[in-house]
Amino acid sequence: MTRTLSAQIFMSLGLTLGAGSGLAHHSFSAEFDINSPVRLEGRVSEMRWANPHAWIYLDVEDEAGNVVNWALETRSANGLIRRGFRPGDLAAGTVLIVEAYQARNGTSTASLAKAILADGRTLFEGSPEPDESQ
Amino acid sequence: MLPCYVSANAFHWILLMTEHMFPRILVAATASYLLVGVAAAQTLPRAQDGRPNLQGIWMAVDRAAYDLEDHPARHDMPAGRSVVDDVAIPYQPWAAEQRQTNFENRATADPLASCFLPGVPRVMALEYPFHIFQTDEHVAITFEWQQVHRLVYIDTEPPRYAGVESWMGNSRGHWEDDVLVVTVTDQNDRTWLDAAGNFHSNAIHVVERYSLRDADTIDYEATIDDPQVFTRPWTLRLTLKRQTHLDRILEYQCQAEKEEANGDFERDERTWYPAPIPPENAPFNADAGAQLPLPATPSDVPRLADGSPDISGYFMADAGGANYGLEARESDNLTPPSRGQVVDPVDGALPYQAWARAERIDRELPHRGYDDPTAHCFLAGVPRSTYVPAPFYVLQPEGYIVLLHERMSWRHIFMDGRDSLPDQIRLWQGHSVGRWDGDTLVVESRNFNGKAWLNEVGDVVTHAQTVVETFTPIAPNQVIYRATVSDPIAYTRPWTIEMPLDRSDDELLEVACLEDNGDLQHLKDVRDEYRAGQNQGDRS
Repeated sequence: MTRTLSAQIFMSLGLTLGAGSGLAHHSFSAEFDINSPVRLEGRVSEMRWANPHAWIYLDVEDEAGNVVNWALETRSANGLIRRGFRPGDLAAGTVLIVEAYQARNGTSTASLAKAILADGRTLFEGSPEPDESQ
Repeated sequence: MLPCYVSANAFHWILLMTEHMFPRILVAATASYLLVGVAAAQTLPRAQDGRPNLQGIWMAVDRAAYDLEDHPARHDMPAGRSVVDDVAIPYQPWAAEQRQTNFENRATADPLASCFLPGVPRVMALEYPFHIFQTDEHVAITFEWQQVHRLVYIDTEPPRYAGVESWMGNSRGHWEDDVLVVTVTDQNDRTWLDAAGNFHSNAIHVVERYSLRDADTIDYEATIDDPQVFTRPWTLRLTLKRQTHLDRILEYQCQAEKEEANGDFERDERTWYPAPIPPENAPFNADAGAQLPLPATPSDVPRLADGSPDISGYFMADAGGANYGLEARESDNLTPPSRGQVVDPVDGALPYQAWARAERIDRELPHRGYDDPTAHCFLAGVPRSTYVPAPFYVLQPEGYIVLLHERMSWRHIFMDGRDSLPDQIRLWQGHSVGRWDGDTLVVESRNFNGKAWLNEVGDVVTHAQTVVETFTPIAPNQVIYRATVSDPIAYTRPWTIEMPLDRSDDELLEVACLEDNGDLQHLKDVRDEYRAGQNQGDRS
């Protein structure tokens, strides 16, 4: 059974990425700018299952037709694993529409607030706990 | 030399003659040797459950940390003999070439050159001491090197998170008579086996065997099976010696030491040891702290054989956002809210000295985010280690309370009333002595280095802090945690925070923070841009 984006996982588990995710080992407000929201549409090139934060890499085509690879910081891998996700669940090629806050240094890096799948479901949606494990 | 050679040969000849002529003597001698072996087995230190007691401070005496195989001295390593059975590691041809490439590039390619987690069995061979703690259900190994720890679950089901790769892998153990056998699975392919480029893939499967030879010696074996890299399983053998001259292991924060040396992590003259009390400080009123009554512990909480509460297991603080401010605050910008954890003073405000309040406000500015030690993946200190948003595991081996934090670090709490450390020995996690006051564990800590922040918004603490923590069980799976901090450099009086700690049936994963830190450069860019602007302003 493939677990890739299975409806079971993404509908039964309540998760949110949440602005500033609240999981940090560093200050999100220091790294990212809430006054620089970005909305991106692209295809997942890779998800890096790292701690304290995992990263989703998204290929996004800009107005000139160039593909820019955005690094989108999200929850910890451990927090996702404890909720039943596993590396490989978010397959390369998956189309995502994301809302995020860009890094203050102007790079194509952002703190992920919301990620919507092509069928309208929201990736990792739900209510964040005040303190989750990471 | 020659006479010795002749003499040795002559002795060997005499032995052979003796064996031939007096076989009974040899039999008797062999029997007495066996008796000595039996006596040694009988006199091994044993735990209450009768198992050999491995608890104590150990270190490998071989030079396997440098190169597992026979090797001459090199500029970066002393010579040493092979610890591998059949002398050489049985590489597949491609892997032998890779090992050679690794060797040539080892100065930068060695993961330990980047202070990364060492993996197993390499961590057992490092020339830094480690402490083994033993209970019926766990064996924990805490390492001085980079505050790494391993938690071995004894006689349990397969790992809850089997299949999730990590740097140190999943360890499961069982006893085979007097031998502790530990199976290590799910290690990633990013660690090496030594400093000479010997390596493995993520198919590595390790079986360790710990055998007490005598009270001060462990014969350690690790059998390594990795069909992607080797032609057959092979075994390395180390001699671990009890470090009888040590009464504790200290800290070696490899990455912090490196960044302090190269300037990437800057000294704070106001908080780091031995910063003095600022002359403009208001007097510190040590007696102003409230004597908060301890919560009541019901009789039905789990207890150990000696009657003290059993507070072992997996815990997560219900911290209410303490990592984003100890004073109550709303969500702001991208920083989550905090419900406020300060219970003394009753107004919930930290009783800052004026300079420290100003510093606290300054630390929340974006260009200061880089200065938070946890952004560098350094240790969180005390009490922050308890409420960083990551779980921890408590063990209660004889004479200790041991805390293993998922964000790779540990605390040893000495329950034997030992003296404090000399003043000049300063630690991220401090020196902690504990005692039971009724059903409450009371822990007093000092000897801090003053490098830690209390949270991401920069609540201040300095090397002068002493911390009294209480852990009071109020339900079978809940402990009320308090920490009273007395710091005459940063505060005008002691203050206390409180939060529940919730125990659940879970296992630790691994936070390999430094190894995957994608944030620090961004924070540094923000800091550097700010400084460049300041310099521009200075020049204009």
